[in-house]
Amino acid sequence: MADSVTTRTPKRSLKTLAPKQSLGKTILQYKYFYLMVLPVLIWYALFSYAPMYGVTLAFKTFNYSEGILGSPWVGLENFQTLLTDPDFRKAFWNTVIISLMKLVTHFPMPIILAIVLYEFSRTKMKRFFQTILTFPHFISWVVLSGIIINILSKDGIYNQIIMLFGGDPNSPLVDESAFRPVLYITHVWREIGWDSIIYLAALAGINPELFEAAEVDGANRFRRLLNIAWPGLKSTVAVLLILQVGQLLTQGSSFEQIFNLYSSPVYSVADTIDTYIYRTSFTIGGDFGYMTAVGVVKSIISLILLWAANTFAKKMGEEGLY
Amino acid sequence: MHRKKIMTLALCITLFASVLTACGGGNNGKGQAGSNGETSPNSSNSTDNPYKDPMTISLGFWDADAEIANLEKDPIAKQVLEKFNITLKPVNLSWDDYTQKIQMWAASGQLPDIFAIDAVGTQYQRKWVNQGVVKALPDLSKYPNLAKYFESPDIKGLGVDGKYYTVPRRMFPSVDWSALDRMVFYRWDLAQKAGITKEPETWQEFEAMLDAIVKSDPEGKHVTGLTTTTTKMLGGFFWLYGNPVATSDGSGSDFKWIKEDGKFIPAVFSKNALPALQNMKNMYEKGLIDPDIALVKPAESYDNFVAGKAAALLSGGGFINLNSDMYEKRWKTAYPDKDMTESVKALKPLIGPDGERSHSIFKTYWSESYFSNKIDDKKMDRIMALYDYVLSPEGKDLLTYGIEGVDYKLENGQKVVIEKGSLNEKYPASRFLKNLVAYETSDSYNMDNPTIANEGIRKEAVDYIDWIQNNTKVPEYDIRLTYMSTPTKDKFTVLDHDDLLKIMLSKEPVESYWNSIVNDYKAKGLDKMIEEVNEKAKEQGIE
Repeated sequence: MADSVTTRTPKRSLKTLAPKQSLGKTILQYKYFYLMVLPVLIWYALFSYAPMYGVTLAFKTFNYSEGILGSPWVGLENFQTLLTDPDFRKAFWNTVIISLMKLVTHFPMPIILAIVLYEFSRTKMKRFFQTILTFPHFISWVVLSGIIINILSKDGIYNQIIMLFGGDPNSPLVDESAFRPVLYITHVWREIGWDSIIYLAALAGINPELFEAAEVDGANRFRRLLNIAWPGLKSTVAVLLILQVGQLLTQGSSFEQIFNLYSSPVYSVADTIDTYIYRTSFTIGGDFGYMTAVGVVKSIISLILLWAANTFAKKMGEEGLY
Repeated sequence: MHRKKIMTLALCITLFASVLTACGGGNNGKGQAGSNGETSPNSSNSTDNPYKDPMTISLGFWDADAEIANLEKDPIAKQVLEKFNITLKPVNLSWDDYTQKIQMWAASGQLPDIFAIDAVGTQYQRKWVNQGVVKALPDLSKYPNLAKYFESPDIKGLGVDGKYYTVPRRMFPSVDWSALDRMVFYRWDLAQKAGITKEPETWQEFEAMLDAIVKSDPEGKHVTGLTTTTTKMLGGFFWLYGNPVATSDGSGSDFKWIKEDGKFIPAVFSKNALPALQNMKNMYEKGLIDPDIALVKPAESYDNFVAGKAAALLSGGGFINLNSDMYEKRWKTAYPDKDMTESVKALKPLIGPDGERSHSIFKTYWSESYFSNKIDDKKMDRIMALYDYVLSPEGKDLLTYGIEGVDYKLENGQKVVIEKGSLNEKYPASRFLKNLVAYETSDSYNMDNPTIANEGIRKEAVDYIDWIQNNTKVPEYDIRLTYMSTPTKDKFTVLDHDDLLKIMLSKEPVESYWNSIVNDYKAKGLDKMIEEVNEKAKEQGIE
């Protein structure tokens, strides 16, 4: 059954078929292919790796006239300041809570949706729902936030329904206890359709004969899901989980979403590391060195999370990313 | 096969070349920024015309593209620039991102020759000065109008070690005029329909009027109480209840200091803060403030006010904005037969608990011109000459009233407008050129001045500022303490409008929530800053 999941098979066969030869010879043999990769490598070197020298700023205090390289070193001073900064502490915990909660509330949703859509026997309906649910992904947070604010404002649909049932109108966007759930719900609403595509593709890759055979053997719908669909999805789920965890602190605490929806009454529960860096750097005018140190801390945490997720995936019996 | 290899190689080379081209293409800003344009300092030896050499000056200004494109259609602005042989090269800034853009350009050495921003008192502005990002102004004795401009106390106070690094855009001749910067307009027509017969003079009367409008909802539009165009303005109104020196422009760095219990403290943290906060909270809880106030956007707020969905609006820009943003853009289309001045009134400063009529207190200027340190002295001289001319009586008259004999004439020393049409349409870039140097908004509060085009609104405007000057007084504070630099103060910001909003919407009692906010400020060094400022004030003999 597991062999029906095709991702591993070609890799294994490549390994067994490839003749043993030195790397130099391989490069020489496929020189034109390697030449085609060269621009991409140069691009990465120039735009992804070269700018990383900017990380040194975390150990410096930025001087406008000297630039990044010429700015004076301050050792770990920026990191020490971090530890005593109450706003950073608040932003740090908000980032962790919001990211993890988004992972918990959102990650299973596209899988469930994909399975539900896969079970839809009518193709037209399946396409209709898939289109409807994918559509919000293509609207930017700037536009979406306008729509959400209108829905949740005093005259919006939300409060009209509340008033219909005799409740007092209030906007969850300015309520500390309600703001985070709004983030989770709107995030699921925007991304569920788009994120389910990859799972639908994985489900489509399962041999339909397996389902038919199981049906003939008397397996009910739930059994078929559990014994055929889930094993077919498992490796995809593992890879996507690792990727999501790796990006948890950036995409999980999505800057665009929070920045466009939040206001000062909810800073205490909504200000994440990204929004904090932005506000402090550009609104208040904090030191770029200090802000880089904040960014570095965030990257280190992301790295640890990525490593943990990869280890977890391997423990699950999957391959992991490395 | 051989041909195939050549094709592959050609493809690779093309890809490689395109990557290199892309790498080289990102210097647009740089081309504009540090460039000295066609300046050739050694090319002219002429002494008769100091502006013989043409000069291109890059300019970072709000909507610079559109403003500079208008120069071609404006004979007056063209004439001024030709006089100094200057071509302006736009570097666009938008209202949403100007602070971020300029900070990024400053960090990457790509600043335009001239750029506009409101940065006085911020940490980054201090660094620009100390670290040589911005150029110091030359000796102003050569530019008499500019020198005179720097005599105003709060502009003079901007000097650093005897040098100036910025030309602030002055709006008003004195702090009293700040009353125009945070104004509350209210729907008098709705108030009358709700049974109110007297214009409010005290906070209680104002609340009673809002209450009557909200409760009777005369037009059935679910009218709300007071709203604002941006939450940054909240302090400009609510601190007026007994703590007016706490009013701030929203930058976080312009907080003013008062002496309380023998030492200087930021007025926001005065004993008078709590009653002002309590008053605001009471208004909110009584439903007299828009429940969506935290989420307001300027255009929507103007729309709601004009549509009769908000009883009162706190906004900036005084009567000039009332004329442009409300009357021109909205009112005259929505109510062509209704005189706006009959329906909308400006709230006069209310009598507070201290028996005083207080208005907001800011600086006499808003935003400043800075000059990149990369420009040479010759270019700086040309820019200063242009600025000096725009500030001169001749330049001011030309850019405000147009051409004498064509657009206006002088009768008994008074200017009489001849041109019947809009001067803004006839000379679409003149105001921009004037604003580049100074707003001089106060000039518009004159019945002879055509800036506020609606004569009814102009009359209200002139009467209002006259009334302010006769009936209010500015409480005492020392602007030198606001400008003072100490290690903790340089990094300290007081975003009081955020605090006000938090208190307004919080479920916690005002006093305990305010105490927790003050404790947060203490954790960021409030006490240390107060100590440093008092010590330095003592050293400088400020009592």
